[in-house]
Amino acid sequence: MIEAVKSRSRKRLITLTVNGEEHEIAIRPNAMLVDVVRDQIGLTGTKSGCSSGSCGACTLLIDGRPMLACSTLAVECDGKAIRTVEDLADGERLSPIQEAFLDQGAVQCGFCTPGMLMSVTALIASNPKPSHQEIKKALEGNLCRCTGYNAIFNAVLQATGQDGIKPIMF
Amino acid sequence: MILYDFEHERPGSLQDVAARLAELGPTAGILAGGTDLLPNMRLKIRTPATLVSLGAIAAQPPGTDTDGWLRIDALTRLSEIENSDTVRAACPMFARSAHVVGSNQIRQAGTLGGNLCQEIRCLYLNQEHDFQFVAPCYKRGGDCCYPYPKNEKDFCASVFMSDIAPALIALGSDIELVGANASRRMAVEDFYTGVGMTPTVLRADELVGAVMVPPPPPNSGWGYHKSTIRGGLEFAMVVVAARVALGEDGETCADARIVIGAVSEGPSRARGAESALVGAAPTPEAIAAAASAAVAECRFLPHHNFSVEYLKQNAEVYLRRILSEAFGRAKTGPGKGGQDQ
Repeated sequence: MIEAVKSRSRKRLITLTVNGEEHEIAIRPNAMLVDVVRDQIGLTGTKSGCSSGSCGACTLLIDGRPMLACSTLAVECDGKAIRTVEDLADGERLSPIQEAFLDQGAVQCGFCTPGMLMSVTALIASNPKPSHQEIKKALEGNLCRCTGYNAIFNAVLQATGQDGIKPIMF
Repeated sequence: MILYDFEHERPGSLQDVAARLAELGPTAGILAGGTDLLPNMRLKIRTPATLVSLGAIAAQPPGTDTDGWLRIDALTRLSEIENSDTVRAACPMFARSAHVVGSNQIRQAGTLGGNLCQEIRCLYLNQEHDFQFVAPCYKRGGDCCYPYPKNEKDFCASVFMSDIAPALIALGSDIELVGANASRRMAVEDFYTGVGMTPTVLRADELVGAVMVPPPPPNSGWGYHKSTIRGGLEFAMVVVAARVALGEDGETCADARIVIGAVSEGPSRARGAESALVGAAPTPEAIAAAASAAVAECRFLPHHNFSVEYLKQNAEVYLRRILSEAFGRAKTGPGKGGQDQ
């Protein structure tokens, strides 16, 4: 005898506007936004790190707010506009924030970088000249185990056209 | 990691949510920001069969009630509280306590109600129970306690780590609980039971509707500090909050509220230390005596590898500092230094 298959929650159709493009996706309620964006929409720029809201690698913008895609149910984002790291560059031309990250060597292994870029994008959108303290506060949710943060901090200063960039000694 | 399978509903009003909670009983979970609930569901600390989402309900903006109390909707995001001019002007300590929670991403998602109803924490509880810790502990419905192996009384010795609750208690705030048929209002300090198994008095068919903060007494000042190791994206090891008021002469203490949080199953008020301060001049000696009396009368649990001695010393030092800050603000006028980061 085959045991009856345990009934599962039904799939539902949600509409996500990702980087300006509308997607209709059938998902179960337990699907996390990060998995939908990576596996169903195919935008793998957003990284899945700790899956518990501790590292910030999965940061993307939901209606302009930096949020954690690993702690957000996709079904809760029905009808919302999502912006991922793929949307920052205009074709081959990088955004000023991405250019600053390259200039300052703020990328080493690169796993935290998409989340960092999205946090910085949200910061600069609401505050074009953030103070040192505001930069640190905006990036406190993004962990980086390679750079020691100073290069990233310098990159934000460069992207916002501010002084105070300290050379990093190797 | 993929979450287990569950159902998801999205009613359109708080009353509908409360009605659904009453029908579903304890198998339901309330989803607001999800920053506490979803990681806990991954760890199977909570396993609701149905999530009732508050996502379809819009939060009311902060406003003033007819009695002059500031009313904050429980669905207000923490980022909106820390950046709200209304909150920063009326009660800077509240804005400050929202500012130090988690990270920017957490504050953008997390709500006030969720922060006040967050699950208690323990080094062992907040881990997957399938590898090192196979047996479920008391809190998970099992029959053991990892931090206290001799604990045979079914109690959960874990720590309630809301950063905002101590500030709200020090401000003398009220909380409104919305049920399917009736809503009730109580002081925030009565909302917490101090029992690890059931940290709040919230019933299964109720949810937090709003928080009301009274206008400050004349000549009052505040002090707040969250102690952490890194200073960001971290749960507290100790939270201390105080609100004091000077008498008409500007020299003696007329009112004091001292709260210590994140060291036991609920935030606790140091009533003995408060009454010793009232009527006395806030000299450095009186403040030091109040700080050590407050630490002596509150319950401390060792948590997350901090010993009780260390936590007590930390709380005493920061209580001393925030009490001097509070009296300083009471002398120079309200709101002074309110927005320092």
